[in-house]
Amino acid sequence: AAGGPKPLPSSGPKSLREMPHPLATSSSEEMGPALTPSPDLLLPRSIADKDLSLPNGTPVDTSSPASSSSLLNRLQLDDDFDGETRDLFVTVDDPKKHVCTMETYITYRVTTKTTRAEFDLPEYSVRRRYQDFDWLRNKLEESQPTHLIPPLPEKFVVKGVVDRFSEEFVETRRKALDKFLKRITDHPVLSFNEHFNVFLTAKDLNAYKKQGMALLSKMGESVKYVTGGYKLRSRPLEFAAIGEYLDTFSLKLGTIDRIAQRIIKEQLEYLVELREYGPVYSTWGGLEVELSEPLEGVSACIGNCCTALEELSEEMTEDFLPVLREYILYSESMKNVLKKRDQVQAEYEAKLEAVALKKEDRPKVPTDVEKCQDRVECFNADLKADMERWQNNKRQDFRQLLMGMADKNIQYYEKCLTAWESIIPLLQDKPETK
Amino acid sequence: MEDCLAKKMEITVSEAEKRTGRNAMNMQETYTAYLIETRAVETQSEGQCAPVDSLWRRYSEFELLRNYLSVTYPHIVVPPLPEKRADFVWHKLSADNMDPDFVERRRIGLENFLLRVASHPVLCQDKIFYSFLTQEAGWKEMVNETGFQLKADSRLKALNATFRVKNPDKRFTELKHYSDELQSVISHLLRVRARVADRLYGVYKVHGNYGRVFSEWSAIEKEMGDGLQSAGHHMDVYAASIDDILEEEEHYADQLKEYLFYAEALRAVCRKHELMQYDLEMAAQDLTTKKQQCEELATGTVRTFSLKGMTSKLFGQETPEQREAKLKVLEEQIQEGEEQLKSKNLESRDFVKSAWADIERFKEQKNHDLKEALISYAVMQISMCKKGIQVWTNAKECFSKM
Repeated sequence: AAGGPKPLPSSGPKSLREMPHPLATSSSEEMGPALTPSPDLLLPRSIADKDLSLPNGTPVDTSSPASSSSLLNRLQLDDDFDGETRDLFVTVDDPKKHVCTMETYITYRVTTKTTRAEFDLPEYSVRRRYQDFDWLRNKLEESQPTHLIPPLPEKFVVKGVVDRFSEEFVETRRKALDKFLKRITDHPVLSFNEHFNVFLTAKDLNAYKKQGMALLSKMGESVKYVTGGYKLRSRPLEFAAIGEYLDTFSLKLGTIDRIAQRIIKEQLEYLVELREYGPVYSTWGGLEVELSEPLEGVSACIGNCCTALEELSEEMTEDFLPVLREYILYSESMKNVLKKRDQVQAEYEAKLEAVALKKEDRPKVPTDVEKCQDRVECFNADLKADMERWQNNKRQDFRQLLMGMADKNIQYYEKCLTAWESIIPLLQDKPETK
Repeated sequence: MEDCLAKKMEITVSEAEKRTGRNAMNMQETYTAYLIETRAVETQSEGQCAPVDSLWRRYSEFELLRNYLSVTYPHIVVPPLPEKRADFVWHKLSADNMDPDFVERRRIGLENFLLRVASHPVLCQDKIFYSFLTQEAGWKEMVNETGFQLKADSRLKALNATFRVKNPDKRFTELKHYSDELQSVISHLLRVRARVADRLYGVYKVHGNYGRVFSEWSAIEKEMGDGLQSAGHHMDVYAASIDDILEEEEHYADQLKEYLFYAEALRAVCRKHELMQYDLEMAAQDLTTKKQQCEELATGTVRTFSLKGMTSKLFGQETPEQREAKLKVLEEQIQEGEEQLKSKNLESRDFVKSAWADIERFKEQKNHDLKEALISYAVMQISMCKKGIQVWTNAKECFSKM
């Protein structure tokens, strides 16, 4: 099944039989970067074809590492896959406060609409709390260690500083949780994860959580990468590059976060002064006769600018900063995945060396070492595929985030402009002689 | 108005120069001298320009001129000078009198002062003012020779009057109250405005940091790089734009300051009226007392208690000749007093009439000027908003190309 013409990026959905199995050929590396989806594509694709099988007819087990990378490679060819072919939609909304004797907490409604066979019903609606999301993320990290798992908003909030039950906080969190689930939904491998399925569908999630161990074996998720403290000699160039990129990236994001916070602080201090400034014009107006209306007009105008500024600062706090912080968390978790990969490679290299030291003229490599090699190659393939998808999503996310920031500022200035333009006729008006 | 000097003569304060010299105590000092240029306004016939006359004056000479005008025309709201020391500064502005920006704004303020005086129907005709503009040497001596300092009312006397006037003119009382309130509210406004400017400066400047970090970030990005880099440039433009914006706003602050100081001039007219009124009341009272004394002496009845009366009772009566002499003196004084009272009354009525006319003129000027100032302030704000929209729209476009 090796060889065959290399498919063109824009050739549309292909039957799996036409595509070469990436692990069978050495051209898998070449396929990666050249097949970056076109920039216009906003939504990552999901698998439409449910009958997945390898060219040799073997059915594809979507949860095993070997097949996930092949799937990913196939997906990267399908770059004109649009939203209409998606078959899984998840939304987080409707936060509600629950007051119990032991604690008070918020739950969110998680709504699912799907045509996938993995789901018994086409629609689901369940209520989940942050703990549940946290549980899901841990499960995903455990069961899909070769993949990049999206971040959750921060778990702990300093009590007394932030009101956990304020509308703004809950809304910010809701958006982040929604984004979290949508990112998983859009991932070709993670979206088929059993834990994710249960999270979306189970009425009693806690019962399921308790039987965790039983399910593990049922699904053959024995992919526990035992990191036996192996030391990696050197990271391959491309992963070293990713690591360096992530380091600088999170550094820059941290700086941007600080700048954004500083701007908000300065704006609020500016607002304090403006709030004193406006009324002085009004006081002055009270002293005057002919100038009374113009001065009142200026006072009201400054008041309008204050409102606009307050809205801008609020929006930046609620919409801009959380997304930045999410990406910083994302980078941190990605760096950990890189380290795990290093471990897997280190184990393989150590075992290989051990075999080479023995005086063997057996040409065949022991299965044990072969398995390690497989693991390394799968991990690498998965990680590379995920990195590319992450890079593309990151670009879209930041494009949207920064355009949003520019928009909010434009709207602020437009509100102020309207206010000032509207008083010009008032100022120029000649009062009737009394 | 047709005859005012401003129509006949172009007046500018065109330059400022740092000078060093020796002061009255023979110590070296540094000061700024301002160049006053004047040129007669020609009728358009020949198209030739009259020659420009110029002379140098320093701030203290302007002060001398203004003091002279205030004392000589106490019924006029005399235009104020720009501030002596930089006040209401926000952090970027310097409080240093030698600072070039301060000197520049003062130059404009001094020119404005001269134009105000030259446009005033009464003040523009003053000879000392004319000499100030045209005669460099010997002007100081000329001013001092007028002896105006002697006419100046002492501060203590003025304060005394404020508390002791029995029948103040209601209009002047209201005006005094208004000028106090005006001073207070404009000071407050200027103070807060300076703080607002300070904060706004901070907001804009912090955005400059985006420029640097976007640039650094763009270095590690492939497709996003260009968009980020160019957006960063716009952030730098945004941060830099605040300097010009706030500099323009200083002109607005200066316009407000002028009226802050005008309020003081208004107050001075009210104070002068109080003094005159007090003087009048004192003179009237003095006359009444003397008349009473006269009557007592003539009739022999002691209606008012006086130490002299008591002592004369204790130590003996006066001779009829002595009494006669006293009476005569008193009658003369009463005569004088009545004439003085008459002229004081006249003076007072004239003062009130001409003061009130100038106050009306001033009110109209104030309403017109402040309206213009508010309009120009609104225009500045509109321009600032438009610039903001432009920059962020540009940045948005760069982001869209990421």
